[in-house]
Amino acid sequence: MLKMSNIAKIYLTDTVKTQALQPFNLDIKAGEFVAVVGPSGSGKTTFLNITGLLEDYSEGSYFLNDQDVTDLSDRQKSRLRNEQIGFIFQSFNLIPELNLFDNVEMPLRYRKFSAKERKNRVVDALTKVGLVNRQAHYPQQLSGGQQQRVAIARALAGSPSFLLADEPTGNLDSSMADGIMSLLKDINTAGTSILMVTHDLQQAAKADRIVEIRDGVLTENESINQVVA
Amino acid sequence: MLLYYFRLAMLSIKKTPLLSFLMIATIAVGIAATMVTYTVNYMMSQDPVPGKSERLFTVHLSSWDPNMGYRIKDGKEDIPIFMTYQDATNLYADKKAHKQTIISFHKAMVRGAEQPSGQATMTYLRPTTHEFFSMLDVPFLYGSPWTEYDDSQGSMVVVLSKKKNEQLFQGQNSLGQEVIIGGSIYRVIGVLDDWLPLPRFYTENSDAYSEPRGLFFPFQSSINNDWFSGTDGSVYCWGGVDLIDLDAVKASECVWLFYWVELESAELRNEYLAYINSYAQEQRELGRFQREQMNRVMNVAEFIEYNEVVKKDGRIAVWLAAAFLIACLLNSMSLMMTKFHGKGAEVGLRRAVGASKVDIARQFFCETLIIGLSGGVIGLALAQLGLHITAQVYSYLHSELMDMNLSLMLLTIGLSVLSSALFGLYPIYRACQIQPSSQLKSL
Repeated sequence: MLKMSNIAKIYLTDTVKTQALQPFNLDIKAGEFVAVVGPSGSGKTTFLNITGLLEDYSEGSYFLNDQDVTDLSDRQKSRLRNEQIGFIFQSFNLIPELNLFDNVEMPLRYRKFSAKERKNRVVDALTKVGLVNRQAHYPQQLSGGQQQRVAIARALAGSPSFLLADEPTGNLDSSMADGIMSLLKDINTAGTSILMVTHDLQQAAKADRIVEIRDGVLTENESINQVVA
Repeated sequence: MLLYYFRLAMLSIKKTPLLSFLMIATIAVGIAATMVTYTVNYMMSQDPVPGKSERLFTVHLSSWDPNMGYRIKDGKEDIPIFMTYQDATNLYADKKAHKQTIISFHKAMVRGAEQPSGQATMTYLRPTTHEFFSMLDVPFLYGSPWTEYDDSQGSMVVVLSKKKNEQLFQGQNSLGQEVIIGGSIYRVIGVLDDWLPLPRFYTENSDAYSEPRGLFFPFQSSINNDWFSGTDGSVYCWGGVDLIDLDAVKASECVWLFYWVELESAELRNEYLAYINSYAQEQRELGRFQREQMNRVMNVAEFIEYNEVVKKDGRIAVWLAAAFLIACLLNSMSLMMTKFHGKGAEVGLRRAVGASKVDIARQFFCETLIIGLSGGVIGLALAQLGLHITAQVYSYLHSELMDMNLSLMLLTIGLSVLSSALFGLYPIYRACQIQPSSQLKSL
C-alpha cells in the first residue's frame, strides 16, 4: 500500500545543510497498524509530513497504492491526500466556529460529492465514533477525548486507505487515551491501515509493528517488536 | 462550492469583528473620499448636449487691434472668444451653417404684468435668436420658441424658464401672459421644462455651473430697446468707444457676443472654417482684421477644455483622492495579511485534508469580495453624506453637481469590490504559500 525507497530529507539554508532524515526504506501493507516512535526532534514529524504528502522529500521514491507521488502537482497531491489519507492530530485541529457536522464534512467539501452523499458519510463517521447525536455542537462544548473522536470521524469520512495519526493521545489523560486507542484499533480491525507517531511506548505496543526514528535514522526496531510480540 | 466559500467568509468576518470592521471602514473611507471628488468632477465634465456636441461649434475671429494683441494664453497670442456686433450679425445673415445663433446678455427688473411694481426683481436675461432652443435641445413645458420672423422684427415675446414661471405665475401655463422687462411689455410664448446643461458651455466659464438665465427673448428686441449692459457679462473693446451709446458699440470693434453654429456633420467643420477665413479676408480687404489671422471654430468639448470650465484643480483633487484610496487599500491590504496570516493553522488543516492552493485562494477571494462589497456599500453611504455636505458648503453651485446617478453608484460599489479584490491578491498569494506542515500544531 505504501512503499518508500531510499527516502531522505535535507533542509538547506544559505549556510547550513541539515540532514533531517537519512535515506530509509519502508513498506507498509494494507491493513497494517504501524507505530513510529522516537524522541523529540528525531525526525518523526518530518517523516509524517512526507508520508502525508505535506512536505517534499529530497531523495528517493514513494509509491502510494502503486502510484508514484514524486512529481505530482499541488492539485494532484491535494486530491491524493483527500482521497487516500486521513489525518489525526495531537491537538485535534477542529475549527472552533464550525459545528461537528461541518468539521467532519470539511474534507468531503473538496470532493465532488452530492450534499446527500456528504450527509450520509458525516452521519456514518460520527456514528462510528459515538457522537452522531451531538453533530450540531461546537468543538468547545466537548471534552478532549470527544474532540479527538470528532477528528477521527473527520479522517474517516472520506474512506481513506490509511490514517496518519500524529500523537493522537498526546493531549489526553490515560483513560481518554485508552478509549482513543481502542477506537483506532477497531478502525484498523475494520480494514483501514494506520501509521501512528507516538513517543508513548505503551500506546505504540498496541500496533502490529513499531518503527523507530532516532537522529534522523529510521529503523525497524526488532527488540521493541519482540517486546510487543 | 461558491456558497460554501461565502459561508466560510462570513464566519471568518464574524470571528474577527474588529479586524474586519477596520478593513471595511478603511476601504469605505477611501472609496467615499474618491467618489465625492470624482462625482463632482464627473458631473462637471459631462457632455452637456449628448449626440450633438461634435456638431456644435463656437466661432472666434481675429478682429483685434493691429497694434496690440488681445491676450497671451499658454505663451501664445490668443484671440477673443466673443464677437463684435457687426461680425455676429453679418455671419448670422449669411446663414452658412445648418443653424446659427447669437447669444447676448442683459439684466433688468422683471415682474408679471399683474404684479405690483414693488415685486419686480433684478433678473439676468438671455437675448438670443430662435435657433438657440433647437440647437441646444432645450425642452419646452408649454409653447414653443419664437420664430425667424420674431427675430427679424425684434418681437416683444419671451420664453420663461420653469423656475421663473413658478416665480411669476406659480407654475401655471402662462402662455399669452405678459411680463414687464425693464419697463417693456413682453408676451410669454413658451415655458421651458427642467433644463440644466452641465456644464453650461455656451457662455463664459464663470457661469458654467450656475442655473441658466430665467428669461429668453429675441436678440433684436434688446437692440430695438437699446439695451446694453457691460455689468453682467464681458465686453472687451479697443479703439476708444462710448459704451453708453449702443449704436457706437454696434459699429465698434467691441467683442461681447457669443456665436454658435450647428453643422449637419462634424466633417463639415473645415468647410465652415474656410468660409469663416474667407469672410475674414473680405473684412481685411475692407480695412479690418489687420492682425495675423487665427480664426477658429471649436466644438463643445474643445471649448470646454479651452475655456477651462473644468478646473485643473478638480482633476488634481481626483488624483489626490485616488492616491488616498490607494493608501487606504494598502492599509486594508496589511490588515488582510494580518488576518490571513492568523488563519495559517486553518489553511494548514484545509490543505492537509485535501484543499489545493486554488481552493484556499478561492475561499479567501470570497472573503475579500465580501469585505470590498461591504466597504463599497458603506462608502456609498458616506459619499452621499459627503456630497450633501459639499452641496451645503458650495451652495452657489447647482445641486445636481453633487448628485450621484445610478451609474456612479454602481461604479462606487464596483470600484470598491474590484480594488479590494486587487489589493487582496497579495495577501491571498501569501496565504496560499503557507506550508501546511508548519501550521498543523497551532490550530
